[in-house]
Amino acid sequence: MNKLQGLSRRRFMQAAAFAGTSGLAGTFPGLSFAIEAGKLSVRFNRDMDSLDPGYYVGGHPVNDVNWCCMPSLVHYSDMQSRGWMPAPFTESVVQTDSTHIEFTLKKGLMWSNGYGELTTEDVQFSYDRMAQSEWKGDYQAYDRVEITDRYSGTIVLNQPFSPFMNATLASGTGIILCKAAVEAAGGRYTNNPPATCGPYVFEWRQGQYVRLTRNPEWTGESTYFDEIECRLVTEDETAALAFEAGELDCVQVSSNALARYVNELPPNSRLTTAGALQYMWLGMNTENPKLQDIRVRKAIQQAVDQNAIIQGAYSGTVEPSFGIVSPGLAGKRDSAGYSYDPDAARALIKEAGAEGLNLTLRTLNNQERVLSATIIQANLAEIGINVTVIPLDAGPFWEMGQESKGDTWKELELWLMRFGSGPDPFEPTQWFVRDQVGIWNWERWSSDEFEELYARGIEEVDPAERERIYVRMQEIMDETGAYVWLVHEPEVFIHRSDLDAQFAPSGEMQLAYFSSR
Amino acid sequence: MLIYFLKRIGLSALIIWLAILTLFAMLNMIPGDPVSIALGPRATPEIQAAYAAKMHLDKPVLTRFFIFFGNVLSGDLGTDVFSNKSVSLTILEQLPHTIALAVSAIAWSALLGIPIGCLSAVRPNSWLDRITGIVSIGTITVPAFLVSIWAILFFAIYLDLFPVIGAGDEGDLLDLARHLVLPSFAVGLGWVGYLARMVRASMLEVMGENYIRSAKAFGLKNRTVVYRYALKVAILPTITLMGVGFGVLLSGTVFAEIIFARPGIGKIIYDMVLNRNFPVVQGAVLVTVVMYVTVTLVADLAVSLLDPRVRENL
Repeated sequence: MNKLQGLSRRRFMQAAAFAGTSGLAGTFPGLSFAIEAGKLSVRFNRDMDSLDPGYYVGGHPVNDVNWCCMPSLVHYSDMQSRGWMPAPFTESVVQTDSTHIEFTLKKGLMWSNGYGELTTEDVQFSYDRMAQSEWKGDYQAYDRVEITDRYSGTIVLNQPFSPFMNATLASGTGIILCKAAVEAAGGRYTNNPPATCGPYVFEWRQGQYVRLTRNPEWTGESTYFDEIECRLVTEDETAALAFEAGELDCVQVSSNALARYVNELPPNSRLTTAGALQYMWLGMNTENPKLQDIRVRKAIQQAVDQNAIIQGAYSGTVEPSFGIVSPGLAGKRDSAGYSYDPDAARALIKEAGAEGLNLTLRTLNNQERVLSATIIQANLAEIGINVTVIPLDAGPFWEMGQESKGDTWKELELWLMRFGSGPDPFEPTQWFVRDQVGIWNWERWSSDEFEELYARGIEEVDPAERERIYVRMQEIMDETGAYVWLVHEPEVFIHRSDLDAQFAPSGEMQLAYFSSR
Repeated sequence: MLIYFLKRIGLSALIIWLAILTLFAMLNMIPGDPVSIALGPRATPEIQAAYAAKMHLDKPVLTRFFIFFGNVLSGDLGTDVFSNKSVSLTILEQLPHTIALAVSAIAWSALLGIPIGCLSAVRPNSWLDRITGIVSIGTITVPAFLVSIWAILFFAIYLDLFPVIGAGDEGDLLDLARHLVLPSFAVGLGWVGYLARMVRASMLEVMGENYIRSAKAFGLKNRTVVYRYALKVAILPTITLMGVGFGVLLSGTVFAEIIFARPGIGKIIYDMVLNRNFPVVQGAVLVTVVMYVTVTLVADLAVSLLDPRVRENL
């Protein structure tokens, strides 16, 4: 049937009007997928920088590719439990006690380019290398790999570290490299791994696509799709339209598109939330003379209308945040140590003699953040604080609080920040310890109790106790007055309804586990 | 004639040199440390130092400029820091897509815009002239990104005639052409109006000339007068406009390359500026500038061949 037959004039005008007023959009009279059998098309929203886990930026899309083409001991199991499972490269992975993990590799898994079989020596080389790399933070509890034989070994930790399986081995930094190949390549590489071993091999065309095709040398478990084309589409709304046109099977959606899809989902489509491990807040520089008085900071905490930001900047598609611990993790809170109360905020400002205070608010220059900043500007105007919003590009934004990058940190007053984290509450807490002041702790506070709890949280294995530790750490952050918790942005994907899509809790696609019903 | 050619070529070389200088200065004024942006915040000081040395970022700005300029003269545009590929190779992969888009956009807009301009000029102030005038101004004023959106909504989603994203499979000419239709339409639509208005204005001026009146007096067919005598002269400013327009399109296709997720020189410049991948940015902009200046030069030389009067002024 011609698609126009299913398209009413009203519906077309609705779509067109939306396109004219808000950028790009559309509705979908009859979504049809022109997917060839055995072939999948997904979206990459940025190009690959480096695939080397020791020296990469991380996250999507490099982890998506590495998990298809490189071995790991464990993979994330499912999005709900955020647990781990032995990867198809292993016979077994067993944590025997709090500091020992025994593993056995499958035999006969071959590296490409004639580098022979995957062995325990590769595992040892890879983790030793990671412990010295830019990502050594993930390996702070790692001590060594003891080689039992060619295929078996034991990972020994230098202290109990409960997030090791999830936050380290299952993450992108847990992949295994070929010792002989990496050494022959000079110890590092970028987008040209000297040897791969996995169900897929890849072809990368810069600025265009990554094409994953079956690895003819792979003897492990078979994957569903013969070919996965990962097409680079940087614009969120273009990707959504390409999905609606049937050119892509799986697309991560923006909050704009999500709001549209929540109201009207295209036919034969499904939404899947991979996780909401980002946390966004309004930060305050506690050392700035204008904000040194804690009454001013507490007033700002109570003046910001979180719900207005959720509705106004995110169309109601995000979860409210009450701290740095994201939904689904131990220590996630249901409320913060303050609440929206503009009258109380005004009283505090009056008490502090800060009426007419002028402040700057710096933010990344994207739609949601600038909208959020504008709402905060209006909220603070109501209590007598004048805010100038300064939108910044990524370059100057990410440097402004770092002492090593100049003196901007001294001028910092307010800013909107969003960090990502892994599937364990230890990860977000690491950026707010004393050592991070002037690096990522831009609020510039420290607390002995916070330091002590941070160390305990790493070693503690009792879930209930960990919960108490991370809740208390966030209470301490509330008490500084330096944080207004805003939202947890979810990683939401739209995909065709017959596609069984698997995602990491941090939002990357586990493409080798994708299948179709 | 030869002197005009040499002067014009010399001027083009000077423009290219100045463009390189300006580009280099502007890139170095962008805020943010290119080392930490390229390598990420976790890079160790040793790795940052090695990168800075490799990219000559540890040298004074003037030294860097002369290193870059010397390399350009020897045909070396540097190395992409992420892929370790030659910048020239990276650009060569992207450039054909941009040229194809710019050529097809300017070609279809000329094929439509020039006849529309002629028709308007032949019957000035008629209903046809008024309609084409409205259409022309309309196409000029509608933002190209909006045209792209409507084109995607209507032709790709509702009619399912053309693909939305990508450039198509290399080696499959039909697929490449199908992927070119919507971006080319979006990029070229505004030029239909420009060209139609330009041709109309030129034609009206030429149609009032004595030699046209004489031709009509000799009883030549109106069609012959318009297309054989009037258009030949009236087309000159249009050729210049198309030359400039083609140059503008080389860099101006960036919006179409982003919206339609097409590879291309504009998109790679945009992406690489965000990544502070200076070698690729410098190389890509340099190639764009050279092409812009070359196309303008060719257009000017073509006009000078058709109209000897322009050779008297540079």
